[in-house]
Amino acid sequence: MAETTEVWRGTLALMILKTLETLGPLHGYGVARRIEQTSGGRLAVHYGTIYPALLKLEQEGYIAAEWGVSENNRKARFYRLTRAGRRQLARESQDWKLTTDILARFLEAGS
Amino acid sequence: MRRARGWLARLAAPFGGGRSDRDIDAELRSHIDLHTADNIRAGMTPDAARREAWIALGGMERTKDEYRDQRGFPVIDALIRDVRHAIRLLVKSPGFSLTAIAILGLGIGANAAIFSVVNAVVLRPLPFPDSARLVRIWHTPPHDQFPGITTFSVSPANFLDWRAQSTSFEHLAIYGFREANLSGRGEPESLQGARVSGDFFPALRAAALMGRLFDAQDDAEGARARVVLGERIWKSRFGADPSIVGRSIQLNGEAYDVVGVLPDRLKFPSWADVWFPLGWRPSDRAVRGNHNYIVIGRLRDGVDGRRAQAEMTAISQRLERQYPADNKGWGAIVLPLQQDLVADVRWGLFVLLGAVACVLLIACANLANLLLARALGRAREIAIRAAIGAGRARIIQQLLVESTVLAMAGGAVGLLAAYWSIDVIVKSFGENLPRAAEVALDGRVLAFTCLVAVLTGIIAGVAPAWRMTRGDAGDALKQGMGRGGTHAGERRVRHVLVTAEVALALMLLVAAGLLIRTLWQLRAVDPGVDPRNVTTMALMLPEARYATPETRVRAFEAIVGRIRAVPGVEAASAIDSLPLQEGGSMQPVAIDGEPARPLSEQPELAVRDIMAGYPGAVRIRVLDGRDFSEADRLDRPPVVLVSASAAKRFWPNQRAVGKRLTLGLISNDVREVVGVVGDVRVHGLTEANAQTVYVPHAQTGSRHMSLVVRSSLPATSIVPSIVAAIRAVDPEQPVVDIQSLDEVIGDSIAQQRFAMRMLSGFAALALLLAGIGIYGVLSYTVRQRVQEIGIRMALGAAPRDVVRMVVVEGLKPTAAGLAVGVAGAIAFGRVLDTLVFGVTPRDAATFASVSAVVLVVGVVSCLVPAYRATRVDPLQALRAE
Repeated sequence: MAETTEVWRGTLALMILKTLETLGPLHGYGVARRIEQTSGGRLAVHYGTIYPALLKLEQEGYIAAEWGVSENNRKARFYRLTRAGRRQLARESQDWKLTTDILARFLEAGS
Repeated sequence: MRRARGWLARLAAPFGGGRSDRDIDAELRSHIDLHTADNIRAGMTPDAARREAWIALGGMERTKDEYRDQRGFPVIDALIRDVRHAIRLLVKSPGFSLTAIAILGLGIGANAAIFSVVNAVVLRPLPFPDSARLVRIWHTPPHDQFPGITTFSVSPANFLDWRAQSTSFEHLAIYGFREANLSGRGEPESLQGARVSGDFFPALRAAALMGRLFDAQDDAEGARARVVLGERIWKSRFGADPSIVGRSIQLNGEAYDVVGVLPDRLKFPSWADVWFPLGWRPSDRAVRGNHNYIVIGRLRDGVDGRRAQAEMTAISQRLERQYPADNKGWGAIVLPLQQDLVADVRWGLFVLLGAVACVLLIACANLANLLLARALGRAREIAIRAAIGAGRARIIQQLLVESTVLAMAGGAVGLLAAYWSIDVIVKSFGENLPRAAEVALDGRVLAFTCLVAVLTGIIAGVAPAWRMTRGDAGDALKQGMGRGGTHAGERRVRHVLVTAEVALALMLLVAAGLLIRTLWQLRAVDPGVDPRNVTTMALMLPEARYATPETRVRAFEAIVGRIRAVPGVEAASAIDSLPLQEGGSMQPVAIDGEPARPLSEQPELAVRDIMAGYPGAVRIRVLDGRDFSEADRLDRPPVVLVSASAAKRFWPNQRAVGKRLTLGLISNDVREVVGVVGDVRVHGLTEANAQTVYVPHAQTGSRHMSLVVRSSLPATSIVPSIVAAIRAVDPEQPVVDIQSLDEVIGDSIAQQRFAMRMLSGFAALALLLAGIGIYGVLSYTVRQRVQEIGIRMALGAAPRDVVRMVVVEGLKPTAAGLAVGVAGAIAFGRVLDTLVFGVTPRDAATFASVSAVVLVVGVVSCLVPAYRATRVDPLQALRAE
């Protein structure tokens, strides 16, 4: 479980970027929900952790945000990918694939 | 790069550059709403739905905290929260805050004001390009003739040799004084002019405001009469006329072409209003024994002061061998120009800076005491904060932020105070302050003040913070209002602080007291003249209209004759240089019958030109022989008067009248002594040497004379009649420096008077602060001991006993402070050596009276708390617990 959280912290940003790419502009709750669902419930952590991560991405200019109205008429802050965010996502996904490939091969060879 | 952008965003956050707390709140609330709605759709009850949403978020406050941590930097954020918290707290107790801010404002303000003077005068470079390379080169006179004098003006021939033989300087320039009577437009005005060599402005690298400055061509022989105007005169006298360059103006009765205007910012020397080319004739260039010019230079790149000094020493030694008659014992010294300009005031300024630092330390101790007193009501608050998990460091940080916020507010008040007082301070320096025009609150003063404020806050806050967080939290909580939560240790801290305050105040008071005594002593010195009811004014006859000595003698005799006829005038005469005024001629004197000695070995005496009747007008007694008379004219035998001490020096145990002496500078000027007059302190009230030789004006025809007019009428009514009498002789003659002889003598001790005033002011401030400190500690003690006092009174103690108890309590640190202060004052007394006169820095009377004053202030500060103690109602005091 400890390892899961470590991975979670490192990859949360990537997951957020990917979610926004797939679903388009989305509020924090939606992003958290989506990540939870996609992980099949295996990443059950506090939703609250998503907000600092969103803010960090916003500060770095990968995502932008503005207030809007949700599908059932509630005010919410919507995040969307910026162009820099798209590039970052492409770069990060590639890095991640490479890492997991290497690691997978390494682990197979060792067993 | 993206990371950098993130950092920048976080840095900007505290200053409104990021998202507000409100915005974050709103987003998290919207998150809860969305989640709750989802949960309700999934079939939960509204209450359960909301609770589940909260749980899933992981707690609102924690999330917000994490959010905030990402928004900015936690440390800065905490600091800003502390500052906000501190401001809220301080606003809530305005009495405490305003007292503290006022105390700090005084302390920091005094420092800011004095520092702004030090900054402008000593620290800031001169306004010329690459000014660090500018130097002044003085003669060093022979010790035996000029004991104690380290720098002396330079003679033309020596300067020319220096310039020809030295290689250390890019430029070596010379300047001297030249009067400048401006006429032809309105009232004639007497200006101060400088005559400068061709490379004077190039050496400074000064640039003209308009037109140009002089170069070598302007100083060539036969060049047209040209002049550079100062900005001030250009504005005041010529209405800032943009076409002034090329115009002709009347100076000293002659026409000069204006070639340029020098901005006031670059005014050098500072006393000059107009600049003339040097215009030396061959005869001027040959003068070696008469020292009346000042030399400046610009060091060549790569040459330092030491090398230049070595070269100048070598050259001087060569000149000594070459011209022993004039140069024996005369060396040269190279000084950085900036240091040399401020040499006179530098020491005094640092004494003042030390004084205001003392005031600030006292203010610091006071603030520390106030903060400690406040701890009384806050022990509980702090204990609670500690109980809910705030670390000690965190609480100390909060407390230090509080004291620093106070100090910053005090600093702001201090800056205002400094801004208002700078003018007063600069004015009270009078003409003694070089570069006075440059004194201002600039960036450096602001930075200094900020730094001082922050340091003050931390220094004053650290002891109280340490104390307040040391106690056991549980203890303080149990003890209700935190009364009794203080220990003997804390009382000791407070006593040490008061002791320090009293000691510092005492030291300042001793310094002020010594200077006050000095002034008394100086007042008591008999200057040798009776200055009461004497008005003086200076006249300078322009050479163009008064070319020969005869015309000048006639003019002055006509003027003095007319003044004597003015109703109300009792006596009138004139002297070339008033007693105790700067300047005045020093000349080598030889007495008849002694073996001939080179000029450089002859004793130098003050030589003064006077008109007949001068001794009578200022009430110098004629001890032997006679005063000059109208009969001592140019065509009559040359005569002199000598002062009693000069007579005693040259002819001990003999009658001086009838003896003969030679004034060295004019060869074969042998004169007969016709009278001996009383000694006058010519050089200063502190200077015992008063040996003087008086020469009749009718035999010299000096152009510059100061009139002395004795009249019992008030100056306001007599001065216009005197000026009218002068104008009746010459309507174009400017009259300057109108002042009473009392003022002239007063000006000679201006430095001591200024130092006395400043130090007295700061000492009074220090005493006030120390008094407040004693009062504060005692009020606090009384409040703490209400119960004990109540019991004592219930058991039969009389109010008198209570008063005695409180006063003794208060006088303990006061007495300790007195002892420490006396020791300190004795140790630091030496810094006042140059300022005191007639008292030693360990003057017992001063120490005793100052200690008495401090003691009285101590007792008075005790009285109010003591009185309050007697008003304690025993019943209430006992019930209170």
